[in-house]
Amino acid sequence: MTPRRKLQMALLALGCFHGFVLFAGFFAPYDFSAQDREHSYAAPTRLHFVDAQGHFHLRPFVCGGATEADDLAGNLSDGTSIYAVHFLVRGAPYKIAGIIPARLRLFGVAEPGRVFLIGTDGYGRDQLSRFLYGGQISLLAGLLAAFLAVSLGAVIGALAGFYGGWVDESLMRVAELFLASPWLYLLFAVRAALPLHVPEWQIFILLVGVLGFLGWARPARLVRGVVLSAKERNFVVAARGFGASDTHILRRHVLPQTYGLLLTQVALLVPHYILAEVTLSFLGLGVGEPVPSWGSLLSQLQQYFVLASYWWMFLPALLLVPLFLAYYAIANALQELFQPVTL
Amino acid sequence: MGIIRFRRSFGVAVAAAAFLAAFLVLSLDAAGPEVEWMVTDNPTGHTGGRLAVALRSEPKTLNPVLAEDETSREVINCLTADLIHINRGSQKIEPALAKSWSISRDGRQYTLQLRRGVKFSDGQPFDADDVIFSFQVYLDEKVDSPQRDLLVVGGKPIVVEKMDAYTVRFQLAQPYAAAERLFDSVAMLPRHLLESAYQKNKFSDTWNISTAAAQYAGLGPFRLKEYVPGQRIALERNPYYWKQDHKGVRLPYADEIDFLFVPSEDAQVIRFQAGDTDILSRFSADNFSVLQTQQSARGYQVRDLGPGLEYNFLFFNLNEVSAKDLPEVARKQAWFQDVKFRQAVSAAIDREGIIRLVYGGRATPLWGHVTPGNKLWGDAQIPHPQKSLDHAKELLKSAGFSWKQDGSLADSHGSPVEFSILVSSSNTQRTKMATIIQEDLAGLGMKVHVAALEFGAVVSRLTKTHDYEAAIMGLASGDADPTPEMNVWLSSGETHLWHPKQARPATPWEAEIDGLMQQQLITLDYPKRKRLYDKVQEIIAQNLPIICLASPNILVAAKNRVGNFQPAILDSYTLWNVEQIYLQ
Amino acid sequence: MKYFARRIVHTALLLLAISFLCFALVQISPSDYFDAMRLNPRISSQTIDHIRTAYGMDRPLVVRYGRWLHSTFQGEMGISLAYNVPVWPLLRVRAQNTLLLTGTSTFLAWLIAIPLGIWSAEKRGTHGDRLVGLATSAILAVPDLLVYLALLLLAVRTGWFPTGGMESLGSAGMSTWGRMGDTVRHLVLPAMGLAVVALPVLLRHVRSAMVDALESPFVCAARGHGIPRRRLIYRYALPAAVNPLVTLVGLSVAAMLSTSLLAEVILSWPGMGPLLLEAIFSRDVYIVTGAVMLSSMFLMAGNLLADFLIFVNDPRIRVE
Repeated sequence: MTPRRKLQMALLALGCFHGFVLFAGFFAPYDFSAQDREHSYAAPTRLHFVDAQGHFHLRPFVCGGATEADDLAGNLSDGTSIYAVHFLVRGAPYKIAGIIPARLRLFGVAEPGRVFLIGTDGYGRDQLSRFLYGGQISLLAGLLAAFLAVSLGAVIGALAGFYGGWVDESLMRVAELFLASPWLYLLFAVRAALPLHVPEWQIFILLVGVLGFLGWARPARLVRGVVLSAKERNFVVAARGFGASDTHILRRHVLPQTYGLLLTQVALLVPHYILAEVTLSFLGLGVGEPVPSWGSLLSQLQQYFVLASYWWMFLPALLLVPLFLAYYAIANALQELFQPVTL
Repeated sequence: MGIIRFRRSFGVAVAAAAFLAAFLVLSLDAAGPEVEWMVTDNPTGHTGGRLAVALRSEPKTLNPVLAEDETSREVINCLTADLIHINRGSQKIEPALAKSWSISRDGRQYTLQLRRGVKFSDGQPFDADDVIFSFQVYLDEKVDSPQRDLLVVGGKPIVVEKMDAYTVRFQLAQPYAAAERLFDSVAMLPRHLLESAYQKNKFSDTWNISTAAAQYAGLGPFRLKEYVPGQRIALERNPYYWKQDHKGVRLPYADEIDFLFVPSEDAQVIRFQAGDTDILSRFSADNFSVLQTQQSARGYQVRDLGPGLEYNFLFFNLNEVSAKDLPEVARKQAWFQDVKFRQAVSAAIDREGIIRLVYGGRATPLWGHVTPGNKLWGDAQIPHPQKSLDHAKELLKSAGFSWKQDGSLADSHGSPVEFSILVSSSNTQRTKMATIIQEDLAGLGMKVHVAALEFGAVVSRLTKTHDYEAAIMGLASGDADPTPEMNVWLSSGETHLWHPKQARPATPWEAEIDGLMQQQLITLDYPKRKRLYDKVQEIIAQNLPIICLASPNILVAAKNRVGNFQPAILDSYTLWNVEQIYLQ
Repeated sequence: MKYFARRIVHTALLLLAISFLCFALVQISPSDYFDAMRLNPRISSQTIDHIRTAYGMDRPLVVRYGRWLHSTFQGEMGISLAYNVPVWPLLRVRAQNTLLLTGTSTFLAWLIAIPLGIWSAEKRGTHGDRLVGLATSAILAVPDLLVYLALLLLAVRTGWFPTGGMESLGSAGMSTWGRMGDTVRHLVLPAMGLAVVALPVLLRHVRSAMVDALESPFVCAARGHGIPRRRLIYRYALPAAVNPLVTLVGLSVAAMLSTSLLAEVILSWPGMGPLLLEAIFSRDVYIVTGAVMLSSMFLMAGNLLADFLIFVNDPRIRVE
């Protein structure tokens, strides 16, 4: 498969994934904050096609529902109530992209049935719904931080590589400063300085933005490396000979050579910043309750009892792997297409 | 030839006997007075063996005067002893280094008789001079001991006098009900090792973690053997310990204790299961279920001791905030200051849900701050109403609140009721409680945000800027007696969290509590004190400056081979009777 | 040579700037170490204020910074607010433990990455290479936290490895060889964890550098000349691929004091990680500054090493 083909397929996979996340309200059976306190840490609900009498149904169904005694994940026996899974149902209200109100959901079961396809967390909230809604915050954060880091890094790296001399030296020293300093306290300070009634998810996006803004150093070094060799290319020297201004050369001749690298960096940094969220949650700077994010879903796994007893809490982490694989596939394909100088 | 040989060997024998006699006489002399043992009544065990315990972090210091954090105190408790000790099992006082004492008629003088013949772990004798020196250090303002404030009664530090080599007298400025409990955890220091540093004003540098073991001496069951930075601290048996069991065997039973530093609770649970440690102290309910299933297979036992003394509560900002600096908070205080609002919030909270979801069922719901774990001071009269949204709605209606079309709650001016709850993000239990309360109050139409900030930011807002609306905190009293917690209930107190450091009581009920607390401080008769403190609890339950939520149960575990394991709900939960613990 | 002398001077200045930035950053975040005591009903605020003054925390930032600098030049690096002992001895022991761990894991990671990367580059496009690529991406996608927890779980369930610490309890009684063996046994799990986490990036770079080298004209020519495979790889392609790898070595060194924090906390390795984490949360400012300074020194030494190695290795750069 050619790199171009691989790129197309990876982009397609990514597009589907992002589509699921964007229309989380439609694909998720429940609202992300709906607590079902009777079903805390419930195992994934089993979908049955064959009932207790041995009849086959085309439409899947679940057994049990509202009380704790019902074994959602267990086997069927005579007498347990069954609830059919319906498609395109009217569920809890939600807003598409936060603006358009809607109530249509892809699937659901009638009350008091429950369908928790990948189980519930400690409050009894459906993990699948939280995973889909959580993607909205996490993907936004990851993309935002990656773009900020790469844009700023590109500008600074290009300037450093192009002008060389003391500009280069001082910028690279500042880059080292940025790489080494404990910016954590800045994050603490920013968080603490904000008033209490700003919505949690806005604060979180701000923090991730700061994180991305502070992360320009690594892309800058890479861009500098490319620019150092790019500016010696024949056509650049020729353009200079023709009297082109620095801005013109940078914009039309040098920077285009870095596009491959920049795109690759973005593709690599998005998963990096999504995972950085896990560290932020660990440090107490994560997105607040009850808004879900992938980082908060993953940080639940830090606890031993979860690993030891509730295996379905791993599933959100596993669901992320194909997403990251898609991003890395894009990065690889881009690298092959553009053949940039590594390091 | 034979006779000479006989004479020679006879001479040798005589010389040896004389030498031995002299040695015995001399050593008896050096021993000083015979040891006045403290005899314990625990089941006897056999000596020998090594105990391994995990600590969450490294001890910050080994100096009992300066130690403030739990980990340091855990280690120091094994190394030092006090004059009068609170038995963690019974929650009552018992003699320790002081074998008996008498109280003057006016309740202001305490004369203590010290045990004779007691030696420090380096062999040096202990007497009244060490007691005088120890209290001098604890009370010295330049040393800044965190325990100093507890030894200040009626505004004046207690005064110590030496009556003779084994008698000391303490003078208090006013009669003080819990006086005997003052002495608990005030460790007696060896004058012979610390006096010179103290004279040179270098006391704060002594007995830190880089001190050599030979420089350290205490009266506890163990003494310092070795400290490996970052990994463990090893204690060995104190050969001069002054307690013995009722069969005359000198305590402690164990030869050695190793404290391992294991930074995360999960790692502690794992290492306990793997057999690296013998005792696991205070873990979460979730880990309890994991450990419980493997009890018999792996040869240990988990114990749920019931509620401790910790109480978690929700409270509102009742400070006097200026509308200029904090307009939002000032506006919302109109709601917070209405007692019916607070009562409605309390009625809407699903305490059972909190117990189940936050603590896995291993906690006790609270309607007052004295938990059922406190055997002596709980007030049985306080009502324990179940969650009732109807009752809450009635209260809100009578307070002038109403509901809009969409179900949201509005006050008498029509503004929607919306506020934030501040919690420390590092405390997962309180964050979870806040989330549950958020859902509960949504049932009343209130819109609640959970603001989880990092601990330093929370402290800053609560104590300095007062820029918060509601918050969830927990306090854990170190002792069952109400007196150490005075600063929470006195309106002038610094930890009177909802409105600290008042110049004059802001409300009549706070004034009443002030009076009652001051009175119970000097009432020596326990039934009278209990009545006073019951009244305090009733006033608090009526006015709800704090809405109590739950108290977590104390969960511990120990290997089956650990004998005399008698965990208690006061710290140190598992090692308070460390000298009686033996290994089978 | 003058260039390197200048770099060293720059590095010293930069370290100074970083230390000042540390101070400033800790200052702007709300509350300090002693504020935690304010929520304790048994300690009066007077006592807390006294303690703060005794540690000099009420002096202005610049004064405190000056005193810290003075203390650093005397080899102490300030006094820890929590432990009340000089910072440098505290850090030194733990830094040694961390370096033991990261040194071993870096060595392990490179040991696997180089042969695997070369093989992968040689067999590029085949199923084997694709499998390696997939595995690499999968490992990259898993958060480090999960890797360490999984290893811990493995240790518990199988009992093959110790579950934490650096020494067993009875190690004082062992011979020197016994003690070394004991340390190695404890080193296996954390070193494996760190190596697994570091491997994907190294592997990817080794592979891409080798691919570039193998596809370059002179190697193609050599292959055309019939030079056997082994010589081709080790005498022709590898030296050309070394350039970017050398920079990576420098970066590996640079990261040696900073990447192992999570592993140390979860696997109870007595390094700088647990100490630093606690100091960060409790705002023990001098420990934080000291630890950041140490890792920065490593960072810059690593970068300097990387540049130096390129200088030595690549004659083209020398000419410039």
